[in-house]
Amino acid sequence: MYFSSLTFLFAYLPLTLILYFAVPLRWRNLVLLLVSLFFYGWGEPVYILIMFASIMIDYTHGLLVEKYRSNDKKARWFVAQSMIFNLLLLGFFKYYDFFAMNLSLIPGIRIPQLGIPLPIGISFFTFQTMSYTIDVYRQDAPAQRNIIRFGAFVTMFPQLIAGPIVKYKTVAEDLDHRVITTEDFALGARRFCVGLAKKVLLANSIGALWDAQLAAQASGALTMVGGWLGLIAFSFQIYFDFSGYSDMAIGLGRMMGFRFDENFNYPYLASSVTDFWRRWHISLTSWFREYLYIPLGGNRGGTAKAIRNILIVWFCTGFWHGASWNFIIWGMYFAMWLLLEKFILKNVLSKTPDVIKHLYTLIIAAVGWGIFGIENLGRCADYLKTCFGGGALWNAADDYALRSYAVTLIVLVLASTTLGRNLWHKLPEKADRVLTPILMLLSLVICTAYLVDGSYNPFLYFRF
Amino acid sequence: MTKAYSRFITVLFSAFLGGILIWSLILPDLERSETENRTLSQWPDFSWEALKDGSYTKKVEEYFADQFPLRDKWTGLKAHSEHAIGKTEYNGIYLADGDTLISEVKQPDQDLLDKNLSYLDRLTANSTIPVTLGLIPSAAEIWKDKLPSGAPSWDQEAFLDRTNNLGIPTIDFHAALTEHADEKIFYRTDHHWTTLGAFYGANAVLEAFGKEPLNKEDFTPETASDSFYGTLYSQSGVHWMDPDTIEYWVKDEGLNITSWRTGHPVESALYDRTYLEKKDKYSSFLGGNQPLCVIKNEALKDAGKVLIVRDSYTDSLAPFLAQRFSEVHLMDFRQYRSSLKQYAEENEVDNIVVLFSIPNFITDRNLVFLPR
Repeated sequence: MYFSSLTFLFAYLPLTLILYFAVPLRWRNLVLLLVSLFFYGWGEPVYILIMFASIMIDYTHGLLVEKYRSNDKKARWFVAQSMIFNLLLLGFFKYYDFFAMNLSLIPGIRIPQLGIPLPIGISFFTFQTMSYTIDVYRQDAPAQRNIIRFGAFVTMFPQLIAGPIVKYKTVAEDLDHRVITTEDFALGARRFCVGLAKKVLLANSIGALWDAQLAAQASGALTMVGGWLGLIAFSFQIYFDFSGYSDMAIGLGRMMGFRFDENFNYPYLASSVTDFWRRWHISLTSWFREYLYIPLGGNRGGTAKAIRNILIVWFCTGFWHGASWNFIIWGMYFAMWLLLEKFILKNVLSKTPDVIKHLYTLIIAAVGWGIFGIENLGRCADYLKTCFGGGALWNAADDYALRSYAVTLIVLVLASTTLGRNLWHKLPEKADRVLTPILMLLSLVICTAYLVDGSYNPFLYFRF
Repeated sequence: MTKAYSRFITVLFSAFLGGILIWSLILPDLERSETENRTLSQWPDFSWEALKDGSYTKKVEEYFADQFPLRDKWTGLKAHSEHAIGKTEYNGIYLADGDTLISEVKQPDQDLLDKNLSYLDRLTANSTIPVTLGLIPSAAEIWKDKLPSGAPSWDQEAFLDRTNNLGIPTIDFHAALTEHADEKIFYRTDHHWTTLGAFYGANAVLEAFGKEPLNKEDFTPETASDSFYGTLYSQSGVHWMDPDTIEYWVKDEGLNITSWRTGHPVESALYDRTYLEKKDKYSSFLGGNQPLCVIKNEALKDAGKVLIVRDSYTDSLAPFLAQRFSEVHLMDFRQYRSSLKQYAEENEVDNIVVLFSIPNFITDRNLVFLPR
């Protein structure tokens, strides 16, 4: 079940909220655990078992780590066990077929692929539960003795399937004693409406432009302008899709009394690639920084070690996004730019005018999305070649696309910058109070229209 | 936020979600949607098996979406929003010239296309009865000047160039329709050709068989309906269009029509007027889809028997053809499952025509039955 589905919006969510607020405070974690398991089981009934296993194992390991706190060797061993379990889980379900396929390319080796469907959200919840045992070990958070509270943390439906990756220490306090005010609910609801509109109205509609360019490429009609239009469209699609989803998650969390960290900070306003990655999918980059880069030694220990660590972290970041070579290349592509900026471009960039810096960052990011978005490496290379002059410049279809998407593109540019937000803050208090409910309702109504339309598939005269 | 204001926002949000939930619970479930011309999903029966493989929850979602209150109004609202931001394409349908809906033809699956052509090839190679190919270009080709400039649609003309060189005799619908492109030869809200378009199409068929063309003056068109909203109207959500008019030109007199809807012959008619009361008015031609239909012209004894393997475009074409052929046999592979060859031999037909609109031919998955 996705947040942007009719079943979620008009059945699951209202019923869940009624149940959640109808029971007394001390039962709410139990309700949260139950509705979250229901949410998870809705898409993958059988995989609920993975959820149970994950809760049990990480819960016990958290307690064991705490119990053997005085015996560091043992405590470390339990942290390692929990990490091995989570990585095996992720490795098996997400990467088995990738390794089977690639190893089978070696003559003499034949490993059959299993074709197991990927459990939803596995990349997110395995990372969250790993953060738990590590946080307990580092004494950043106390171990959770109540298994229902722990279960509620692992399964919490707002961030279960697409993040943000909530570290245990962020919500440890809220899990045990949270206060929910009407203001929290109202602010959460507002945030949810913003996210819904970003996902349904902005991301989905600009996504069609990217698809159109991929289709043009398939029929040999892609031009240079079309290629860039496609990259721009996909850059917007992925940002508004993902950040919209994060907004909805943060909003839902807030409505139920949890405060998650922000996941995006206007990434397309970044002035360098390094800056971009401080603003994009913050919960993932900070996870890798905290639990991988710094433990590896970070940038202490000399240039060679720093380079090694950056390469490792970005290999993992890329691979985390998907079991396919293009994601690995995508990760290494960014590692390359980050290293360049760290060691060579740093002084150049500091003297470069802002406009150029922003443009440079946007182009690097857009080309990155091209690598990210086209899994087939040959086709990806082909697409990028067209963008850099390997084909016709422009055709009538580009003109049509530009005319059709002009308004959408302007809205997307405004929404990616702080301009809209700044204007909003300049509004008199009264206007804000009047406009907020109107815009919320408008977002809900129009999103519903788009969602109903998406489910609308008239059978023409082909009904057999 | 003050407490009162927070409460107001909370109530607003909850009332919208909860309100629609209650509304959809109270609303009685519908059997079918006239606009979409299909039966709607019902609440699924529970079984552990269905729950385990995920099909149960999927069906609940389909049920919820299908039974959503005011479905048609929501789609209309979406089309209006798209219109407002300058879009001219609605769910794969172009709004052309402000008053005509034209369906985009998407790049077909190359494998399927090659396969369909190879089935045709095998039919002509094995058949002792001559085979003719007739492909009807859709409005996206004939009316391409009306499309928003630069709007993509697959090149049907290039495809016709390919099929004209297969070594199979063809019917030139492209020329016949292009010549009359400024007339109302396609519906504005439906993907079919109008009776006028079918008339020009019929003359293209007759020309291919060296028969005398039909004269417009010999027909008195009857307006069967002036409130026809077709498939493109439903699919696009563009609901601010004027309806189409359906005309009947040919009269039933002198024709003997037999429909085989359920495996045995039933006397039938050129038009089933009960459809004129429903949404799906185009199906009034010959009463809509059926596996096999035979039209015999009692006055023409030796004018030849033609067997047409066809889609729904032929429903409005066949009445014209019956004016020049002794027998017109219409076979629809979406439902007909016996041997074409055997049927043609048993009924001693003189010609086989494979006659499809291009969008149907390139996506049809039943042509595998052609050579069988």
